Amino acid sequence: MGDSKEIKQENQKPLVYDPQYILMVRDLKKYFAIKGGMVSHVVGHVKAVDGVTFNLRRGTTMGLVGESGCGKTTTGRTILRLAGEKTGGDVLFNGKEVYDLTNKEMRAMRTKMQIIFQDPFSSLSPRLPVGEIIGEAVREHGLVPKAEFDDYIDKVMDNCGLQPFHKDRYPHEFSGGQRQRICIARALALNPEFIVCDEPVSALDVSIQAQIINLLNDLQEKYKLTYLFISHDLSVVEHISDTVGVMYLGNLVEYGETEDIFKNPLHPYTKALFSAIPIPDPKAKMNRIVLEGSIPSPANPPKGCKFHTRCAQCMERCKTEAPVQKEVEPGHYVVCHLYDE
Amino acid sequence: MEENKQNMQEQNEQEKEPYSLNDDRRVKVLSPNAMVLQRFFRNRLAVLGLIMLLVMFVFSFIGGVISPYREDEQFYRYEDQMKEYVGVVRNNDFRYTAADGQKFDTILQAEFQLAVNNERDSFEYKGTTYEVLEEGEDLYSISADGTMLAIAAKDIVNAEGAEVSFDVKYGALKAYTNEEESFTANGKEYELDEEGNILDGETVLGYVSRFVVSSESADVVPSRVFKEELETVIDNDETEFTFVDEDGVENSYKISYDATTMTWSVKQGRETYVYDSYAKPNKEHWLGTDSNGMDMLTRLMYGGRVSLIIGFIVVIIETVLGVILGGLAGYFGKWVDMLIMRIVDIFYCIPSLPLIIILGAAMDAAKVDPSIRMLYLMLILGFLGWPAIARLVRGQILSLREQEFMTATEACGIRVSRRIFKHLIPNVIPQLIVTCTMSLGSTIIMEATLSFLGMGVKFPFASWGNIITDVNSAYVMTHYWFVWIPAGICLLIAVLGFNFVGDGLRDAFDPKMKR
Repeated sequence: MGDSKEIKQENQKPLVYDPQYILMVRDLKKYFAIKGGMVSHVVGHVKAVDGVTFNLRRGTTMGLVGESGCGKTTTGRTILRLAGEKTGGDVLFNGKEVYDLTNKEMRAMRTKMQIIFQDPFSSLSPRLPVGEIIGEAVREHGLVPKAEFDDYIDKVMDNCGLQPFHKDRYPHEFSGGQRQRICIARALALNPEFIVCDEPVSALDVSIQAQIINLLNDLQEKYKLTYLFISHDLSVVEHISDTVGVMYLGNLVEYGETEDIFKNPLHPYTKALFSAIPIPDPKAKMNRIVLEGSIPSPANPPKGCKFHTRCAQCMERCKTEAPVQKEVEPGHYVVCHLYDE
Repeated sequence: MEENKQNMQEQNEQEKEPYSLNDDRRVKVLSPNAMVLQRFFRNRLAVLGLIMLLVMFVFSFIGGVISPYREDEQFYRYEDQMKEYVGVVRNNDFRYTAADGQKFDTILQAEFQLAVNNERDSFEYKGTTYEVLEEGEDLYSISADGTMLAIAAKDIVNAEGAEVSFDVKYGALKAYTNEEESFTANGKEYELDEEGNILDGETVLGYVSRFVVSSESADVVPSRVFKEELETVIDNDETEFTFVDEDGVENSYKISYDATTMTWSVKQGRETYVYDSYAKPNKEHWLGTDSNGMDMLTRLMYGGRVSLIIGFIVVIIETVLGVILGGLAGYFGKWVDMLIMRIVDIFYCIPSLPLIIILGAAMDAAKVDPSIRMLYLMLILGFLGWPAIARLVRGQILSLREQEFMTATEACGIRVSRRIFKHLIPNVIPQLIVTCTMSLGSTIIMEATLSFLGMGVKFPFASWGNIITDVNSAYVMTHYWFVWIPAGICLLIAVLGFNFVGDGLRDAFDPKMKR
């Protein structure tokens, strides 16, 4: 992972822990240094995550949507401290700043927060049997007594729809859906509270997608899990999420209850994005808002509101002044000058 | 009947039941390693390579134990060596013998020669007339004023023991040329036998002969019997004969005639104890012997041992260094990677062959012990070979590090050491094994090249390379095939075997290869 320089944090009040939220993220930033020149010095930063703020309630699912390259995955990984050091902001998991933990504390914390990857093929070590992949971390953290270990793994596998005899097989013997189940089992085996699902179904075909989504739903109910569900598939997000965040170029432009967002999108980008959801009715006329131009480079984002280059409702003010997050309706936040009082 | 049917049905159901679609027994579970092995053994060329290697290993490591000879045991044989023994000249010049108290100097000899050539029966010199009398074929007597001065003859009287007096010589020559069996000299009766021996009763005074036998070395005194034998052989125009001397030793002789000097040179065949070098393959030495008279097959076995051991140790050194340094560079990246890769670049700039030759020459000068030299050779080759492996390992680790399963291990909070040894290294090993196998072949070739040039393994240790060193001329190459062809075949088989196995492993490790 790239280098990240700690940018001096503005003097802000410390984030106050609210126990109803398992995860509190404020103004999270993650820049990747671009190196160049003769002596390989930093010539700029890719601002993959540039100010993301949201709170995630216990036992709920937050969907994170946005087009490719807008920083969804990096946000997920930065929250889990998997992308090196953060550049700025706070991540409070169960009231503890994730980036303040020592290595030892962090390793213990890992059992509480897990991740499921997009590609079930590259996320399983090809040279370990499935039982070992699932059980490795369990043994590593000593979560289960040795005598119960085998039964525990069997139980986890059963929960994820895997047969016990799959234990001795190797990943290459499984289909994509089964592999994703293995990934879920690996995450679940550590008995986590929070799982980042990084586009877990985008590599699977539709029928398998439904199975995996339903499995995730079942597991959430059973173990009171909290998900951060990253996806660019809006219908999946609508189905699974309680709250939704919309990202554009490293910013969380809109954030609120799923219903609010889907029924009443406020941000021009959200409107455009949701207008692209196909309606399964050939007679229905779609009012597509077609965005012009392409997404600007995250290494050199536009000044002011990052969306102003493509926004149909762009105002003079948007080009110079970056908007801040405002709560327009209760629990519905948007970052746009249109909603300034 | 009905019962039977029911039973059958039940049986069928029982048989069907255990074989559900996901049943463990339906699918044979194979670990990745087992699958690699399976794919490997399906590849005929790879199996052939493996067999070749096994043969070479058995040949080298077990062969040396079975062989009745030691690595540096030299063999000897008796060889007939032809040595110059004597030279024989048939006398065609007149030889002069002056009478007792007379002189017959060279000027007179020349005048006489002139007279004989002109068929005159007298010549004059300084006012004296000399009479020439032909007493027989090639026998003349010269007298002046009725006094005999000398005789000139082409036959020679060789004295046996005491000097023979002039009169006896004269009588003997006269009798010899006229083929008489006896003559009288000084009022004494002498006999002359067929061989030209002058006999005084029973004692042999000397003999008359046209041949002059001169020995080539001071310690050789050819006996009279030998000389007689020699004369008859020469008269019969034979070129070879054997002769048993007084001590009963039989020797063979070869005679060659040189027309320009009119000499017969006689060579004696002598048995000599020599190294049994370049012996053709026979029962004792299945592949013959080399220039030092050592058993070629045994040398090949021990040479294979040395070549293979050097190959393995060099590759082990290379691999250990390469994996450690490449692993460090790949895992830690940043300046560690930068530093190690620049070192690798520098190592790539070193021209290895000249360096090794120079070091070899330096070791020659320092007279390093051959076994220690072998150790140095391995170290040098190993130190020069690691950069390729370091690059491979670094590249592999760099790409593996970014794989999601490595992120997953981090997300699961697994220890760094376990991440390296359980997740990274096992995934690097396939490529590493392939590269190492291939590099074994090239290391053996390198060692053979160096040994051939005399910079590698040295006598008394055998290696396939230094066995071929004996072939330093076209003569050896064309006449003693058994010196270089078996060693060449051994090298070929071993290197080909390693390459086949390497190729087979590469194909087997690559899951995309479907055979």
